[in-house]
Amino acid sequence: MLQRIRTAPPRYWLVVVVVLFFAGFPTVISSFQAGQWALALILAIAIMGLNILVGYSGQLSLGHGAFMAFGAYASAILAHRYKMDYLVTIPIAGLLTGMVGFLFGVPALRLSALYLALATFALAVVMPSLIKRPVGLTGGVQGISLPPVVVPQLAKDGFTMLTGSAMTSDQWVYYVTFAYALVLFWLAWNLVRHRAGRAMRAIRDGEVAAAASGINISGYKTLAFGISALYAGIAGSLLGLATGYISPDTFPVSLSIQLLVGAVVGGLASIPGPLLGGIFAYFLPIESNQWVPTQTWIPSQIVATVVKAGPAVTYGVVLILLMIFAPNGIVGLATAGYNRLRRRLRGAADRESGHMPPDPQTV
Amino acid sequence: MSALLELEDVRCGYGPTSVLHGVSLAVPEGGIVSLLGANGAGKTTTLRAITGGLRWLGEIRFAGRSLRRMHTEDIVGVGIAHVPEGRGILTELTVDENLKLGAHRRKDGATAVRKDYDRVFEYFPVLRERRNLSASTLSGGEQQMLAIARAMLMQPRLMLLDEPSLGLAPLVVRSIFEIIRTFNQADHVAVLLVEQNARLALEMSTDAYVLEVGRVAVKGASAELKGNESVRRSYLGY
Amino acid sequence: MQEFLQQIVSGIASGGIFASLALALVLIYNAMGLVNFAQGEMAMLATFIAFTLVDHGVSYWIAFPVTLVVAFAGGILVQRIVIRPVERAPILTLVIVTLGLATLVNGVAGFIFGYVPRSFPSPFSAQTVNLLGAFVSYRDLGVIGVSTVVLLLIYLLLQRTTIGLTMRAAAHHPEASRLLGVHVSWMLALGWGLASAVGAVSGIMVYAFAAAVLGGIESPLGAVVGGLIVGVTVNLAGAYIPFVGGDLQLAVALAIIIAVLVIKPNGLFGRPSVRRV
Repeated sequence: MLQRIRTAPPRYWLVVVVVLFFAGFPTVISSFQAGQWALALILAIAIMGLNILVGYSGQLSLGHGAFMAFGAYASAILAHRYKMDYLVTIPIAGLLTGMVGFLFGVPALRLSALYLALATFALAVVMPSLIKRPVGLTGGVQGISLPPVVVPQLAKDGFTMLTGSAMTSDQWVYYVTFAYALVLFWLAWNLVRHRAGRAMRAIRDGEVAAAASGINISGYKTLAFGISALYAGIAGSLLGLATGYISPDTFPVSLSIQLLVGAVVGGLASIPGPLLGGIFAYFLPIESNQWVPTQTWIPSQIVATVVKAGPAVTYGVVLILLMIFAPNGIVGLATAGYNRLRRRLRGAADRESGHMPPDPQTV
Repeated sequence: MSALLELEDVRCGYGPTSVLHGVSLAVPEGGIVSLLGANGAGKTTTLRAITGGLRWLGEIRFAGRSLRRMHTEDIVGVGIAHVPEGRGILTELTVDENLKLGAHRRKDGATAVRKDYDRVFEYFPVLRERRNLSASTLSGGEQQMLAIARAMLMQPRLMLLDEPSLGLAPLVVRSIFEIIRTFNQADHVAVLLVEQNARLALEMSTDAYVLEVGRVAVKGASAELKGNESVRRSYLGY
Repeated sequence: MQEFLQQIVSGIASGGIFASLALALVLIYNAMGLVNFAQGEMAMLATFIAFTLVDHGVSYWIAFPVTLVVAFAGGILVQRIVIRPVERAPILTLVIVTLGLATLVNGVAGFIFGYVPRSFPSPFSAQTVNLLGAFVSYRDLGVIGVSTVVLLLIYLLLQRTTIGLTMRAAAHHPEASRLLGVHVSWMLALGWGLASAVGAVSGIMVYAFAAAVLGGIESPLGAVVGGLIVGVTVNLAGAYIPFVGGDLQLAVALAIIIAVLVIKPNGLFGRPSVRRV
């Protein structure tokens, strides 16, 4: 065991550091900020689902917000109408959404990339109006208010023992989200490393070749859709927990777009990508909203318009610049930088040992 | 005969891996030169370097003019037609539209182009029949014919052919090679031919170069190489 | 019966608008191999420019072509500055860039023109004319007429001229086109300019998507037919199925898409893609 720890590659240590960081830092930031980070983690979970679909199995979805909505409403209805404990409803909502996603994946099989994008986009567009219909079940435009979050006594005591302060409901929600994120990211990591993940990547890189190698194309593609929707469903359900209230307007088209932006910006087909993407997708709009009004150089007579238009402009500009300079996402940029650094270090080592460096690069 | 195309100590590669380690060769005006060698020797890379598909060190001259820093579009414009690996057929377009693209930069008038069309259809009658069909419906051999016909319509001074025989039936290959030779003689167009089928290529060409891992291993007159038992054994494998 | 006819005619009227934007999408797809999510926003910006011109007393018939030219130039500019650096990036990166562009253009339009919705003056009167027993406004007829003419011109440009041919070639096979002497990068820029100008002719994004998909994203004819079908169906469903009402018309459009795509994955007029192994 000790031997294994000692020989673990550096990225495992990075994982340990990140996990400890996310476990520890709600104790040093305000309860409000912990709530914000919980929302970022929720996005990260949904983006991980999208990443499994888009990054690993090569199918595009512009409508994952709709699956989040389904999960959130499943939980809310179970908790509100059938008086179930909300925490119990989260996995149920995930499974239900996963099944819906699986079913959606069947007709999706027949569509090529672009058509699938448009079909899922339409799903995202139409979801809010669909939710409004069965008023008795979903509360229509009014939405559903959820019972306030109760922090379990055990968690309260533990938290007080460790930090000396009382646990707020935001902090509790954060830790619930964190636990789910941890498990789901770990599952995703295992999924992509093993048989199913290999099959999905093979399909993504070439369906004909994958089929020729005996991979069940339809099976794995719908499976990817199902798993992906399961992640989105859990994220939606957690979103209900975090906000305490859901309505059709909680899940606009822009949510689906935000998820896709997060997935691409973080880095597709990577495990840390969705985490970075979630943080980015959650905080960039907020930061650009806050950054613009604080700028003092803007003339006062147009400040009102700038405050209104500024965040959109900032968001758009940052997004475009990021894509220009990191076309493969943040993870892609980091990997490329790491590789270059390593090459340079190796080159230096070669010089010291008196070896000739390899042929001059000509490209 | 002065050289139409000259490569001098050309080095290039993809990313950190270098493929060509100093290739020098020359194609005379109106001549047919074959470029032979095993898979991965750098034949396709040489052609791609010539038409600006990747950056290189050394010197490439066409008709006495350096091709350094020129874009593919402009290199093509000065008279080099490149039939790439995989034929470069635009499958969304019809056969006719593909041919039109070949002729679209010509400035010698519609009559001249029409005359060339007729000639090309004489070489490849099947293309006339399929004129209005989508290029994706053509068979492999027909696609190869389309690619060569399109290159002919570009009115080049030099044609680069990347394995025209790949995946085709021997009979089809024969007829395509015949047509290339006829075209070469009729229009005095030089050809640089990359081939796996060394026997056929040597029959057709006047000179030949054999590449081995990015370097010219053997060069000489085709007839000589064909007769040289040891070269044939060690490099050409037949 | 009278009422039914009326619904059909209004459906065709709105369908004509969907059709023209759907056609813009099809054209842009054929001319640059990409669906541009900023299309709607760019169209809106162009409309605002036209609005400002008309507001300053410029005649509608001058403002219209000026706007088209501005939109065309704007499209080229956007391609050169924003799209070109990511030309070789993965397709999803491009999609995200167009999304960023949509946000950006939206913000810029808000900054320049404010957020107050305005009604756009029309050179056609709102009076209605009796057409086969149903009433249609001159305005709808005018919009459809102008769209049809513009789109016909674009269609001819793309399908019948050499420059159109090179644009289509550049969009689908950049590498092979370069070897044929096509200036790929500029052709793509031209495609953007064109699409931006066509987009300026009309608005309403989602229905247009529906129409484009319905007809087959590569088929200009399909886009027009798809637009009309979507327009009429959405209108009829809104009027006759009580459950649908106003806000679920979109759902009807969705249902049409899904139904058609499951039966004909390449749209009504799309060519099935043949895969050679």
